[in-house]
Amino acid sequence: MKKLLFLSVIFILVFGLVGCGNDQSANQNADDGNSNSTSNTTSEGGSSPKSGGSLIVAVSGDPDVMNPLYANDRVTLTIQQSLFAPLYRMNNGQKEYVLAESFTPSEDNLTYTLKLKDNLKWHDGEKITADDVIFTMESILDEKQNSSSRSNYIFKGKPLTMKKVDELTVQFILPQVSAAFEGILLDFYPIPKHVFENETDLSQSEKNQHPIGSGPFKFKEYKPGEYVMLERFDDYFAGKPYLDSIIYRIAKDPNAANIALQNGEINMRMVDPQDYQKLNDTGKFNMVTFPEGRLFFMAFNMNTEIMSKKEVRQAIAHALNKDEMIATAYISSEFADPAASVFTPDTLYQTNDVKTYEYDQAKAKELLAAAGVTGNEKIRIAYANNNKVATSLSLYTQQKLQEIGLTVELIALDPNAYSTKIFDKNAKDFEITFGGYIMGEEPDAYKSLFQSDADYNYARYKNPQLDALWEDAAVETDPAKRADLYKQIQQTIGEDVPYLPIAYPKAVIAVDKKFGGLEEAKPIPIAMFEDLSKIYVK
Amino acid sequence: MIKVIVKRLLQAIPLLFFISIVSFLLIKLAPGDPVQSFVTPDMSQEDVERIRHNLGLDQPIYVQYVRWLINILSGDFGYSLISHRPVLTMIAERLPATFGLMGSSLLLSLLIAIPLGLYAAANKNGWFDRLISGISYVGISIPIFWFALLLIYLFSLKLNLLPSIGMRTIGVNSAWDVIKHGILPCLVLAFQNASVYLRYIRSNTISQLEEDYVQIQYAFGSTKREVLFHHILRNVLLPVITIFGLSIPNLIGGAFITETIFSWPGMGSLGVTSIFSFDYPVIMAITMFSSLMLVIGNLIADILYSIVDPRIRPKG
Repeated sequence: MKKLLFLSVIFILVFGLVGCGNDQSANQNADDGNSNSTSNTTSEGGSSPKSGGSLIVAVSGDPDVMNPLYANDRVTLTIQQSLFAPLYRMNNGQKEYVLAESFTPSEDNLTYTLKLKDNLKWHDGEKITADDVIFTMESILDEKQNSSSRSNYIFKGKPLTMKKVDELTVQFILPQVSAAFEGILLDFYPIPKHVFENETDLSQSEKNQHPIGSGPFKFKEYKPGEYVMLERFDDYFAGKPYLDSIIYRIAKDPNAANIALQNGEINMRMVDPQDYQKLNDTGKFNMVTFPEGRLFFMAFNMNTEIMSKKEVRQAIAHALNKDEMIATAYISSEFADPAASVFTPDTLYQTNDVKTYEYDQAKAKELLAAAGVTGNEKIRIAYANNNKVATSLSLYTQQKLQEIGLTVELIALDPNAYSTKIFDKNAKDFEITFGGYIMGEEPDAYKSLFQSDADYNYARYKNPQLDALWEDAAVETDPAKRADLYKQIQQTIGEDVPYLPIAYPKAVIAVDKKFGGLEEAKPIPIAMFEDLSKIYVK
Repeated sequence: MIKVIVKRLLQAIPLLFFISIVSFLLIKLAPGDPVQSFVTPDMSQEDVERIRHNLGLDQPIYVQYVRWLINILSGDFGYSLISHRPVLTMIAERLPATFGLMGSSLLLSLLIAIPLGLYAAANKNGWFDRLISGISYVGISIPIFWFALLLIYLFSLKLNLLPSIGMRTIGVNSAWDVIKHGILPCLVLAFQNASVYLRYIRSNTISQLEEDYVQIQYAFGSTKREVLFHHILRNVLLPVITIFGLSIPNLIGGAFITETIFSWPGMGSLGVTSIFSFDYPVIMAITMFSSLMLVIGNLIADILYSIVDPRIRPKG
């Protein structure tokens, strides 16, 4: 999931789509007080699951390439969730095995032994074996195949190596200890060797047009611009899914898609908080509201002289009221929780024991005075003009900073010009910007935002001690010590505030009430539900 | 005649060449990068650069252009940078949907605009003329996305008569089902086109009505109806042919906004997606096909001219 992209976050209109939030319970109904309108508990009407029927899920466009080696966009990841199975998943910090029977590190943490379940089948009936796992990993590591996952398996310039033990067992041998390895392998979806073996370019292979997967649903039909249809895979190891088929239907315009949802042309869609009330009032939908594992933040450009002063950043943090910001950007606190740590609550070792900055204008002014800021300096806020959340928060911030005596200029940019500007590591022509990310459960992924030379270091934040902490935490295999290192990291960032965490937004999925099993299917970021095989027609 | 056609087609070659250079430059100089669709936060800079190199995107623009041009000339339109599928296949599978929608809306708008335009001109400044002119002004100025959503709201949600998105009901394979899905987008496009055409036809008819030959026909005792449909129509068709010729590239290029709102699986929605992801092989292919159709459309218009109006028949 960490594959997910700020990129999308940054330039895409989709921004409003998501929410964040922090409750540990994955599936929290937004209005608990009104249970008959939104609840989706297991005891729905006492009806027991039955087989049959189909579910039409709205997606916003065509999938890029239906091959896990290249799945980076929201649509492809959503379809992949049903089409391919991973080795294991993580559930509240516990491994839940899927294709794997077991996955165990050696004493020295350099060798991980993967044992596959026996009698697993690809959708074409062939057996899933260690050879498929090895083939997949070799393809990812092959420089000619352009898989974006490759960097995950390169450790200090050296790739991991593999050894086939028997038909179902593979050893992964790491060149150095990596505490993040188990987390990284969450994104590993084997592809069938017997299908792709002789292809020179896997991304351009014709085989991607009718993928052979390993998940609970198999590929049936793809009509470009219209839909992707999957049907039940009867030999799925965890049991036959209830639904006969799932159709991922392309609905590009959100307003038209909401009407299609109400008409029954679509049964499930991720919706904006703005549309919550309208759709909920129809009484036709379960509105599944859950934390999306996203952080929305303000970034200070520390290339600029004024933002290189810690007091100024802290002063700005004191000048803003997070509750007001959430009301401004997310309509109500139902759709976002105020954020403290730069880690989202679903990330391992996340802690709220970090320095927070209560709303206090007097203190803000004091800090500005201490930093020698006179108020004549101009603060420029850059944002993409198609990003509704950033736009409203820029206006809010302008007003609040003027109240503490700063001069603020807003720079609204077209999305491409904006992304060029924020990726420019030497940019000095703005002081503040906004951004968001979904990084997933593995805390190591976050370092691409915080290390001094990291590509996504929007704050141009340079702290050698912190850089070292990230490196230490990546190789620390003792969970208690690792937790402590990540706590130090979060606290250092909390003190230095290169980024000011604002909110953990929540996502809302509207699902037609005729479908049950939503809680068992488990709502997750991006792909909407973890396991659609648990969903049934009531 | 054949000589003229060949000459015109040869003249089009430098034009197409020029269009390809300008479009290529525009795509490449705009901020943004197709490699972004490969990049994930945990990728190393070396891997990003290697992918850029593998795709040939690290070369100077003119090298990339020449490489593209050589491939095009040998009939190779390449692969999409996003879906990694052959560009020609992607275009071929979108063409029928766009052709059907654009063709039917073009036909419908001519069927609406010609009689209404003639009739409005014949009754210049009458109540009918004013009403039609008023409606056509609305048609020209109304934001298309708003009008499309309004129709979806009314006909799909409130009246529940027509589907709101897509080209067919999943699992249903009938022509009637496709037509039902096409009605709303076709109406949206036809309303706007007809409004434009109508204004051309009306003003042209008005100027024709003042011509001497019209007065003579009246003097010979022709009725207004005979004059309009037998004599004026032929002359009024000239601007209509021009418009028709200019509409031909749309039959291929599709309608960006309308197709996107209705999730119509045509070239327009493919174009929008490609532009947002900087997928230049696809953008260039669509641009070149549309340009070629523009050239052909103009040629067809010229040939039709000479059929309708012997005065401009080419000599030789």
